[in-house]
Amino acid sequence: MAQTMKNRWAGLLLLVGILVVLALLPVLVNNYWLRVATGALMWAGLACSWNMLGGYAGYINFGHSAFFGIGAYATAILMGADFAVPFLATIPIGMIVTALFAVVIGAPTLRLRGAYFAIATWAFAEVLMQFATVVDFTGGTGGIGLPPFLNERFFYFAMFAAAVLTYFLTWLLFERSRFGLKVKALRDHEPAAEAMGINTSLVKLQTFVLSAVVASVFGSIFAYWVTFINPKSVFGGDITDQMVVMVLLGGLGSLWGPAIGGVALFFVNRLIWMYYGDTAFYIAILGAAIILVVLFLPNGIAGLFARRSGKSGSVLDTVLGRLLGSRQGGRS
Amino acid sequence: MDLFLQTLLNGLLIGGVIATFSIAFQLTFGVLHVIDFAVGAWVVLGGYLAYYMAAFLGIDGFLVMPMAFVLFGAIGYLMGPMIYNVRNSRTARPELMALALTFGIFTLLRGGMLTVWGFNTHSVPTALSGHSIMIGPVTVPLIRVAAASFAVLIAGGLFFFLFRTRYGLAIRATAENRQNAALMGVNIRRLSANVYGLYAGITAMSGVLMGGIYSVNPEIGLRYTLFAFFVAVLAGLGSLGGALVAALLLGVIEAFVATYGGASYSHLAIFATLFLVLLVSPRGILRRGL
Repeated sequence: MAQTMKNRWAGLLLLVGILVVLALLPVLVNNYWLRVATGALMWAGLACSWNMLGGYAGYINFGHSAFFGIGAYATAILMGADFAVPFLATIPIGMIVTALFAVVIGAPTLRLRGAYFAIATWAFAEVLMQFATVVDFTGGTGGIGLPPFLNERFFYFAMFAAAVLTYFLTWLLFERSRFGLKVKALRDHEPAAEAMGINTSLVKLQTFVLSAVVASVFGSIFAYWVTFINPKSVFGGDITDQMVVMVLLGGLGSLWGPAIGGVALFFVNRLIWMYYGDTAFYIAILGAAIILVVLFLPNGIAGLFARRSGKSGSVLDTVLGRLLGSRQGGRS
Repeated sequence: MDLFLQTLLNGLLIGGVIATFSIAFQLTFGVLHVIDFAVGAWVVLGGYLAYYMAAFLGIDGFLVMPMAFVLFGAIGYLMGPMIYNVRNSRTARPELMALALTFGIFTLLRGGMLTVWGFNTHSVPTALSGHSIMIGPVTVPLIRVAAASFAVLIAGGLFFFLFRTRYGLAIRATAENRQNAALMGVNIRRLSANVYGLYAGITAMSGVLMGGIYSVNPEIGLRYTLFAFFVAVLAGLGSLGGALVAALLLGVIEAFVATYGGASYSHLAIFATLFLVLLVSPRGILRRGL
C-alpha cells in the first residue's frame, strides 16, 4: 500500500515535470524543433483518439483519417474567402459536422463485427477521399489553401492544449468512470455486457463519435498550421496506418501507450526524413514495426512496464508507477 | 451497342482473373480465419517477377506463371505457420492481432517495393501483347482472352483439387469446422501452412496475368486488396462459389463505370457499392457468409 502511494506520487511528479518542460519548450528550442514537437503532440493526440475505439472498445477503425480530414476541410473551407470565419470558430463547426458524419456512419457499421467493421470503415474513408477529389468545393485534386499564419508558438500551444485535453478526457472517461467500465466490458465480451444491461449499441456509438470528434479537432489545427491541404494529405490511408502502428507500438488499450508510440514513431519519421528524404523507406519500417510488435510485443511498450501489474487501479499507477518501480527493483 | 458489348466482354474477362485470386483469398479466410490485407502485394510481386524475367532473361510472361506459383507458394508456405500462430495465440484479441499482422506484411511489402523499385510503372511483355481478335462486332485484346482462359484453368484446377481429392476434402472440412476436422485426424497447423502457400502461389500467378493486361507498380497493390475485399463482402466471407459470381460482377461494374463514367469514378463506385452492401446485407448479397 505504501509502495502504491509512493508510486502514485512519483508518477504524478513525473507527469507534472513533463508538462512543465512541454510548456517551456518554446523558449528552450528553436523553431525547427518546435515544429517537430508540434507534430509529435498532434500524433500523440491522434493515436489516443484512435485508441478510444480500437483499444478500449476493441473495434479496429481503418478509416479514422476520414474524421481528421473532415475537420481539416471544415476549417479550410470556412476560413476561405467565401465564409471568412475566424479560426477558433471553425473548430466547433468542424466538430459538429464530424459528429453528424460519425453518427450516420457509426450507427450502421458498428453492428458489423471484427474484420467487416475494418473493411467498412476503410471503404468509407476511401469514398470520402475520392469524393473530395472529384467535387468542386474542396478544390479537387489541387487541394485548398488557407490564409497563412506564421506563428509557430501559437500552433505549438494549440496542439499542446488539444493533446492535454484529449488525454485528460480519456483518463476521465475511460479510466475513471462507469462509462469506461461499460466500454471495456463490451470489448471483452459483448453478449455478456448486453446481458448485464449495458446498451452496447449506444456505448459503442458514443465512443465512436468521441474518437471522431477528437480527430477532427487535430485536423482543424493541422489544416491552419500547414496552410495547404489536399485529399491525399488529410484523407490518405497513410494517416490511419500511422495511428494504428503508433497505438500497437505503444500498447493497445492503455492510456499512455499511444503517447509513447506516437512520439517515438514520429521522431523516427523525422529522422528518416532528415537522412533519406523520401518516405518509401518509412513505409517499409512501419510495416516491419507492426509485424515485430504483433509477434513479440503484443501488449506494446506500455505492456513492458505493466508486466507485474496486479491490483492497483489506474493506468497512471501501473505504467508510470511500474516505470519507477522496476528501476528501484533493478537497483536492489 | 458495340461499345456496350465490348465493355461487357472486357469486364467479364477481367472478372475472371479477379476471380482466381479472390477464390484463393476466400479459401484462406475459410481455413485460417484471417482477412489477408497482403493479397494485393502478392499480386504485384507476381507481376514484378514476370517483368524482371521478361526484361533480363527474355522469358515470356505466361511461362513465368509456374515459376511464380512455386516461388511464392514456397514463401507463403513458410509464412503460413507465423500467421496461424498469431491467429491462435493466447493474446487478448487474436483476430485483431492477425488482422494487424497481415496489414503489417502488406505495408512492409509495399514500402519495400517502393524503396527498391520506385514509383515507376512497368508492363509485362508477352507473345500475345498488342494482338487482338474480332468476336462478332467487338474487338478483344488477345491477352485478355488468354488471361481469362488461364484464370479459368487455375480456378478449375483449384475446384477439382478441393472437391475431388482427399486433401481437398480435408481443407473443406477444416473450413467448415476446425475442431471436428482436427478430431478426424487433420493436422490443422500443417494444412494451414499449405493453404496459405497455395493461396500465395495462385495470387502471384494471377498477378502475372494482371501485369500482362495492365501494368505493374508498387502502389497498385491496394487496388487488388480492394478487389478481394469487395468480392469477399459481396459473396460473404469464406464463400467460394459466391466469389466467382461476385468477381465477374465486379469486373463488369468496373468496366462500365470506367467506360461510361470515367476512370476517376471507378474507385468511388466500387468503394461506395462495397460500403452500401456492408450496411444493407453484412453477410453478403448471396447470403453465404460465415
